[in-house]
Amino acid sequence: MTRDAVIEADVGVVGAGPGGMAAALRIASSGLSVVVLDEGARPGGQIFRQLPEGFAHASPPTEPPSHGAGHELLHALTGSKVSVESHATVWDARAPRGDDLGCLWFEQGVASRALRCKAIVLAPGAMDRCVPFPGWTLPGVITAGAAQVMVRGYGIKPGSRAVVAGSGPLLLPTVTALVSAGVKVVAALESAPRRAALRALPGVLRSGARLREAFFYARQLWRSGVSLQFSRAVFAVEGDGRVQRAVIGQLDREGNPIASTAKTVDADVVCTGFGLVPSIEIGQRLGCRATWNEARGGWHIEALDFGATNVDRVFAVGEIAGIGGSEVAIAEGRAAGELVCAQLQQRGALTHVRDRSRAVRAAADAMLRAFSVPRGVYSLVKDGTIVCRCEDVNAKAVRDASALHGDSLRAIKMGCRAGMGPCQGRICAPSVQAIASRGSTRAWDEPVVQIPLKPVRTSTILDAPKV
Amino acid sequence: MTESADVVVVGGGILGCSVALHVARALPKARILVLDRGPIAGATSGRCMGHLMVTPDTKEEYAFSQTSVRMWAGLQEEIGGFDYNPTGALYLADAPEDLELLPVLQKQFSDCGDTAAILDQKQLREIEPGLAHDLPGALFYQGDGVVLPMTACSAMLRLGQRHNARLETRPGTEVTGFDGIGSRMTAVRTKHGTITTGNVVIACGVWSPAVAKLAGIAALPIVPRAGNLAITAHHSTPIQTQLLEVSYIRFAHGAAKVDPWKTDEDQGGHAVNMQPQSAGGCLIGSTRQFRGFDTTLNRELLHRSLLRAQRYAPGLLGLPIVRTWVGLRPYSVDKHPFVGPWPQTDGLWICSGHEGLGISLSMISGQLIAAQMTGTPCAVDPTSWLPRRIL
Ligand SMILES: Cc1cc2nc3c(=O)[nH]c(=O)nc-3n(C[C@H](O)[C@H](O)[C@H](O)COP(=O)(O)OP(=O)(O)OC[C@H]3O[C@@H](n4cnc5c(N)ncnc54)[C@H](O)[C@@H]3O)c2cc1C
Ligand SMILES: Cc1cc2nc3c(=O)[nH]c(=O)nc-3n(C[C@H](O)[C@H](O)[C@H](O)COP(=O)(O)OP(=O)(O)OC[C@H]3O[C@@H](n4cnc5c(N)ncnc54)[C@H](O)[C@@H]3O)c2cc1C
Repeated sequence: MTRDAVIEADVGVVGAGPGGMAAALRIASSGLSVVVLDEGARPGGQIFRQLPEGFAHASPPTEPPSHGAGHELLHALTGSKVSVESHATVWDARAPRGDDLGCLWFEQGVASRALRCKAIVLAPGAMDRCVPFPGWTLPGVITAGAAQVMVRGYGIKPGSRAVVAGSGPLLLPTVTALVSAGVKVVAALESAPRRAALRALPGVLRSGARLREAFFYARQLWRSGVSLQFSRAVFAVEGDGRVQRAVIGQLDREGNPIASTAKTVDADVVCTGFGLVPSIEIGQRLGCRATWNEARGGWHIEALDFGATNVDRVFAVGEIAGIGGSEVAIAEGRAAGELVCAQLQQRGALTHVRDRSRAVRAAADAMLRAFSVPRGVYSLVKDGTIVCRCEDVNAKAVRDASALHGDSLRAIKMGCRAGMGPCQGRICAPSVQAIASRGSTRAWDEPVVQIPLKPVRTSTILDAPKV
Repeated sequence: MTESADVVVVGGGILGCSVALHVARALPKARILVLDRGPIAGATSGRCMGHLMVTPDTKEEYAFSQTSVRMWAGLQEEIGGFDYNPTGALYLADAPEDLELLPVLQKQFSDCGDTAAILDQKQLREIEPGLAHDLPGALFYQGDGVVLPMTACSAMLRLGQRHNARLETRPGTEVTGFDGIGSRMTAVRTKHGTITTGNVVIACGVWSPAVAKLAGIAALPIVPRAGNLAITAHHSTPIQTQLLEVSYIRFAHGAAKVDPWKTDEDQGGHAVNMQPQSAGGCLIGSTRQFRGFDTTLNRELLHRSLLRAQRYAPGLLGLPIVRTWVGLRPYSVDKHPFVGPWPQTDGLWICSGHEGLGISLSMISGQLIAAQMTGTPCAVDPTSWLPRRIL
């Protein structure tokens, strides 16, 4: 079957995670046509990731209560008029303007296609935030997100003895996923102090769903005999060609490692996650304003009520508008869907969806504010520790480049190539600048976006429909 | 706050860095500052390709470019660290009519006392198996090379610091004006304060006219000429040699056929230039268009240049592109760069306007400035590059 190179819909949605699905369902329910583009093989996004078609878990991993909402969305999607284009990587975008339709160019297999639409909802999610430490490039060190993808998305057991370390609420689902896959979690280390958890509490208490989630994880941890230790981190990972041991220990108030507390534990997998960084490049490409907020994962697209951005008929929901979790993504997706319909059908928007999305976002902000990455953890980085993995650039090269070329991201990139590889600095930007500025608490620079938004074949660019 | 320096280089692109290196070498005790309003190598020198190109169009151009490219080999020996790769260059013929250009170019090289070899289809395929099998032939010149321009800037500065520990960079320092007494340069004003100095070198690329105006030079004729580039991911280059289409010589170095001041009239042109990177990717260029300081990508032009590139290297079609961008070449309206003293102001120097050859020509340009500043011999006759010609 050959598919049309150019398709049209009232609304184009980027991302089939909770935010994108919720928006698309709301839009389809009022009779507008909507197409969702997603890179993945099946809808679900990061958290509601489905196994590849035709596969089933031998013993399904334990699911937190929030996944109920995911099943509902996925179920509703199958019965809806929403059209989902999977394996579709969006690499360029243009906003609708006046009577001109907007356009999303995407690569699908070897096909170069485009979606024309009157409004665009962006829900491209986020990426794991990594903090380098000696040995983090050894095989067997994976991100917390990757651990979940392996367990939940592919039914793969990443190892047999795991250390989980990092910061923020994502550590808990990582531990749970590993335990349910039969991995022994020998240590679960949160770098923030215990009072961070206490500070997060009011945010948790403001959302019933989050409270249920917290109870669920507390019970899971208790049953598996794993306890989350605060003010602790992985100092280094050692092994001959792959992870064999982790050196773990305590952090002081600023997050600096206390050398005298270091001890070595045997492990064959180390999962680290220091929260998430929003994927903002599609928004930037469309002209949406990005803004900085550490609690929301740094640079995110500034979204107003109903997910509206500074660009007419372009909306941003879920993690792209700041890290907030799936409950926020769903509420914002619905709110944006509501306003899109109201605008295209020329009626007023219902305000209760907006009020709900405001409330869950505020609760998430209150919770996540407690978990900023302590700058001291960057002092674990040694001269020879790789910082930019794409280009194999170590910390000394980053510091030298910064001394000579300047301390902006671009200056460091020019001086040592950090951020020039396939990920275009999406992974290393936060650490590069933190390491160059030796622990100053300054924000990293807003990354500069260029097409293609994700790597695509030359033929995709050449065959791009001219619309 | 006031400080002082013996020499202030304004602009930390490849030309400013080369000037700094050569002055540091010639004056090992002098205090030399390189100021840039942005990062070092953050402007054109960080948005270009790194072909070290010997151009035999005239004997004079050959002397400049060949001397400079040879000096690059010396820089590699002395310090390295900038992905130097002496690949030579292949000038590719596309259609049979291009074949006529190969002996023309070959003769240019031999007129300059150099050599280049014409390759037939079979020989070409042996050197570059990834090229389209129907290409009729090429000219191979072995004197060219490839560098990574940004880290070359670092290397020049580090080597300069080895010769002269008082060489410093000041990224993030914008020059806002100059002070003088009579016809003597006395100080540079920046956003962060004034620096007293008797010697200022303007090496601001496409912004040189604006900075020169601050120093009293009414109209330095340098115009931005935009180029779109794309780069493939690591481990995905279809080629190993610096490649150009031979029709390049008809257009790239030739004077622009359009009026460079009428930025809305230039539809833009392109000639294939493909460059293997040490990191394993392939840079694909290159387009030329006068459209002011606009650095938004021209997707239409990029499209045209990729289409031409895959004609030569069809394997490119399946390779991932990771990024595209635009750089602004400092096009000097009479085609010659401005390298030397400004005769109306003592202590004012210009080193700018190298269009698409600034990387190649940076080494010799820095040498010429340092030599004239210290009254030592120039490596080549500097006359045709002297700024006084516009007076
Ligand atoms: C690896 C990982 C694991 C996580 N695990 C948990 C967890 O266990 N519990 C929890 O509460 N939260 C978890 N989160 C957070 C959770 O993902 C979010 O709260 C929620 O999924 C956000 O929904 P979203 O719709 O904003 O984005 P996502 O769910 O991330 O969906 C974004 C979708 O957009 C697609 N996409 C992105 N860019 C493009 C493009 N250019 N072209 C086409 N498609 C594109 C992606 O493939 C993805 O499917 C995790 C996040 C990550 C990154
Ligand atoms: C697409 C493309 C491909 C190219 N390929 C090649 C090639 O293969 N080989 C080759 O030899 N050449 C090539 N070139 C040409 C080469 O890149 C340029 O000639 C060279 O980089 C110009 O260097 P520069 O130092 O003059 O300018 P720049 O690198 O632009 O440096 C000027 C500096 O001055 C600074 N500045 C400006 N105003 C002020 C101020 N008021 N105060 C302080 N600082 C200021 C700027 O911030 C900037 O950093 C290419 C160019 C392009 C665009």
